[in-house]
Amino acid sequence: MSYEVKLEAFSGPLDLLLHLIHRLEIDIYDIPMAEITQQYIDHIHAMQVLELNEASEYLVMAATLLAIKSRMLLPIHEGELEDAELEVDGPDPREELVQRLIEYKKYKEAASSLQELETDRAQVFTRPPADLSELASDEQMALFDLNVNIFDMLGAFQKLMRRKKLKKPLRTTVARQERSVKDQMRSVVDTLRSTGGRASFFELFPYEDKPTLILTFLSLLELMKRQVVIVEQNGNFEELSVTLQKEEWDDDENNDATE
Amino acid sequence: MTKTMMLQSRIEALLFVVGDDGLTIKQLSQLLGEPEELVVQAMEELRTTSEEDLARGITVKEIAGVYQLITKSELADTIQRLVENPTVQSLSQASLEVLAIVAYKQPITRVAIEDLRGVKCERPIQTLASRGLVKEVGRSEGTGRAILYGTTKEFLNYFGLNSIEEMPPLPDEELVETEQETDLFMTKFQETFSGVK
Repeated sequence: MSYEVKLEAFSGPLDLLLHLIHRLEIDIYDIPMAEITQQYIDHIHAMQVLELNEASEYLVMAATLLAIKSRMLLPIHEGELEDAELEVDGPDPREELVQRLIEYKKYKEAASSLQELETDRAQVFTRPPADLSELASDEQMALFDLNVNIFDMLGAFQKLMRRKKLKKPLRTTVARQERSVKDQMRSVVDTLRSTGGRASFFELFPYEDKPTLILTFLSLLELMKRQVVIVEQNGNFEELSVTLQKEEWDDDENNDATE
Repeated sequence: MTKTMMLQSRIEALLFVVGDDGLTIKQLSQLLGEPEELVVQAMEELRTTSEEDLARGITVKEIAGVYQLITKSELADTIQRLVENPTVQSLSQASLEVLAIVAYKQPITRVAIEDLRGVKCERPIQTLASRGLVKEVGRSEGTGRAILYGTTKEFLNYFGLNSIEEMPPLPDEELVETEQETDLFMTKFQETFSGVK
């Protein structure tokens, strides 16, 4: 019985229950409530360190188990047995819990097959596309429309991070740069000016180091908010394009994040 | 120099230039000015020859609906040496569970995901959104107009899937059910014949 389990290993109360059911070799359709409740509560006691909000979820489940256990102890009155179908016993109080466990188990298994796919995919590498924007005409660049949301921006940023990952030099020296979003907004606007007021999303990220990438991304969001630039996308999943709308803005807001 | 060989070299060159943006058969057919079935045939030959030729390190694969040039998986070790710190930020158990639920049940709200897992899912969802694997695909009807989440093209790319239909089928409840029935049968059987209760 002295079986040590780290609670962080579980991704929730259902996960913990499944673990117990498996370990005690219990039939999921016929859970001995007294035993499982006892085991479950022992496990919660064994949690040394636990974030409060997570603890509450485990406690809710403990209460549920106790409720089911007590309902199973209640005698069934004669009067309730008028239904012929209920001759043996009423609806099983465990029913709902069993359904939840089975449903959760399905997705837990699906998650592990996703993990296998993730591992396989990490074995093969691709390259970012060659930059052909020099060869593109202005008419082609003018085909963008206005419908970029935060998810598109994040998607573009994620793509960018992936592209920069393999470009890392083999040896780097670390130089700490203290730059603010405000400074970076300035330099993004300067970059845009030098490219004739319009550039692709990726052109605005010349630096390789992560802090600068994030700083540039934040300043771009800030510029969008203040409508200094407009970000557009030519159809779903296409490259984002950034257009300069005005060159000046008020620095009245002092809540800029600084790097 | 046959026509398909010409076509293969042109496809290879195009795929080299577009990198991980990749190209669909339809796009290739337009770019090359050749009918789609001919492109499909040339692509298949390009794939088999590059797969079979052990002297080559690159092959063709269709990921997230587009054909791309990829390095062969058996060369992963070689490529890892390029990267100083090859720890890939793989997803946590919680994130994978949330992602599995979104993938199979999309569009789905955060509350529905939480009901299924029995835990709060704000953080995993945030992680997944910031990595571009899930995104808002609409709003639910009714009060609150909760965000509905779905998977992205990046999700397909991240797991090397071609389309969402390629996801492995969900483990079947039927299986659990039948096991259960056999069990029940066996128990009944034993009870009947051994008189043990």
